[in-house]
Amino acid sequence: MMIKCVIWDLDNTLLSGVYLESGAQSPPPADPGMLGVLHELRGRGIIHAIATRNPPEAAQHAAQASGLEFAAAECGWGRKSDAVHRIIADLGLAPDAVAFVDDDLYERAEVSLAVPQALVLSPEDMADAVGWAEFSPAVVTAEARRRGEMYAERRRRQEEARAFAGTRDEFLRYSGTKVTIAPAAAADAPRLHELSVRTHQFNSTGETVAEAALRTLIGSPAHQVTTVRLSDRFGDDGLVGGCVVEPGERAWTVTLLMMSCRAMGRGVIEALLAWLVRSAAREGAAALVVPCLVSPRNVPLRLALAASGFRAPDAATPDAATPDAATPDADAPGWRVARFSRALSGPPPGLPGWVTTPGEP
Amino acid sequence: VTGPEAPEVVGVLREILAQATGREELRATSDEAPLFGAGVGLDSLTGVMLLREVHRRFGVDVAAEDLNLDALATLGTLAAFIEAHAR
Repeated sequence: MMIKCVIWDLDNTLLSGVYLESGAQSPPPADPGMLGVLHELRGRGIIHAIATRNPPEAAQHAAQASGLEFAAAECGWGRKSDAVHRIIADLGLAPDAVAFVDDDLYERAEVSLAVPQALVLSPEDMADAVGWAEFSPAVVTAEARRRGEMYAERRRRQEEARAFAGTRDEFLRYSGTKVTIAPAAAADAPRLHELSVRTHQFNSTGETVAEAALRTLIGSPAHQVTTVRLSDRFGDDGLVGGCVVEPGERAWTVTLLMMSCRAMGRGVIEALLAWLVRSAAREGAAALVVPCLVSPRNVPLRLALAASGFRAPDAATPDAATPDAATPDADAPGWRVARFSRALSGPPPGLPGWVTTPGEP
Repeated sequence: VTGPEAPEVVGVLREILAQATGREELRATSDEAPLFGAGVGLDSLTGVMLLREVHRRFGVDVAAEDLNLDALATLGTLAAFIEAHAR
C-alpha cells in the first residue's frame, strides 16, 4: 500500500527539542534529518500532517520552521490515536495509507494498537523508510507535487464556506470557481492513470487503468477521453476528473468516470454529467449509459447520478451477499455492475456559468 | 419493536438536512419538496452526510438497500423508507 500522508509528532521528532521547554523567543528548530525527509516526500506527492501534545502555536511554528504547509494539524492532550483517526477522517484517507512518526515508544505502541493498519515508525526508521516502496510512487504528477498545498487551500475554502450565508452555487460563484471540460491530450495520461488508482468515492469501475492503455484510448477514434480541471481563488486543483466514452449511434456509454474527492461538493461531477448529456444529445444519441460498480465506496457517485436523473432499470436491492460494510473492497467478489442510464429526450440540462468547454459549439 | 412515528422522523431529517448543508432555512423544508435539483439542491457531499446521519440515527443504510436512491426524492419518501426498513 502506498503511503499518502505522514503524520508527525513534533517534540524531539520533527523539532530538535521540546517546544514547551524552550522559551517562546527561541522555539526549537526543525530537525535537519527529518526536514530533508519532509521535503523529499513532499516532492513525491506525499502530504504531511501534525499530531502533537502542544498548543496550536507549536504547529504554526513547525510550519514556519520547515517552510511547508501541513494538510492537517491536531494539537492537544488527548490520545495520539484519536488525533490520527481525526486526520484520517478529515483528509478522507484510508488508515493503511498513513504513516505515523514519533520518538516516544509509548505513543508508537498506542497508535499501533488503535490504528493497526497505519505504518508506525520511529524517526530513525523514517530516515531509512524514504527508500522503501511504500514511499516511492512510480509517477509523480504536477497535481501530486501540489497536494499538500491543495489540502491547505481546501481548509481555507471550507472555513469560508462555513461562514458563508447562501447556497452552494452562490458560494461557488463567490469563490470564482472555474471548471474546464476539454478533450484529453496524451500528456494527460499520467494524471488520468493516477486518478484511476487513487479515486474510490467517484469511480465507476474501481479498476486501475494503465498509462499506456489511456494513451491508446486518447488516440482511438472510437473513444472520447475527456478531462476536467478545477480552480478558484483559493487555489488551482489542476486535473481533478475524467471520463472515457464510447459514442454509439443509439447510446453513448461512459466506460470510465472518475473524479478526485477533493473536488466533491464543488459542482464538478454535476457539470461533467450535464456536459455529457448535452454532447450525446447534440450528436443524436437517445440515451447516455453509465455502467457503475455498486459498492459502499462509491455511494457519492451514485448520489451524483441520481441527482442528474440517471437510473438503473434493474432496481433490485444491491447484492445482499455483499461483504461487511466495515471492510469495503471494490475488488471483492459479489459486487455487481448496474447500468445507470438517462434518456436524452427533452430539453438538455443547463451548464452553470462557471463551466468552460473549449470546443463545444 | 415499532418504528418511529412519521412526523417525528421528518422533523429529525429536517434537522439533519440543515446541519449537512449549513443552511438554517432548510429546517422549514416541506416533506414534499424535491431534494435534488433547485431549491434544496442536495449534491453528493451533502447527500453522503445525510445518508451517514440517517444510518447513525435510525440504523437504516439507504444506499445499501435502494440502488437508485429513490428514497431521496423528498423528506417524506425518505421518512417512509426509514420507517419501512428500521429494525
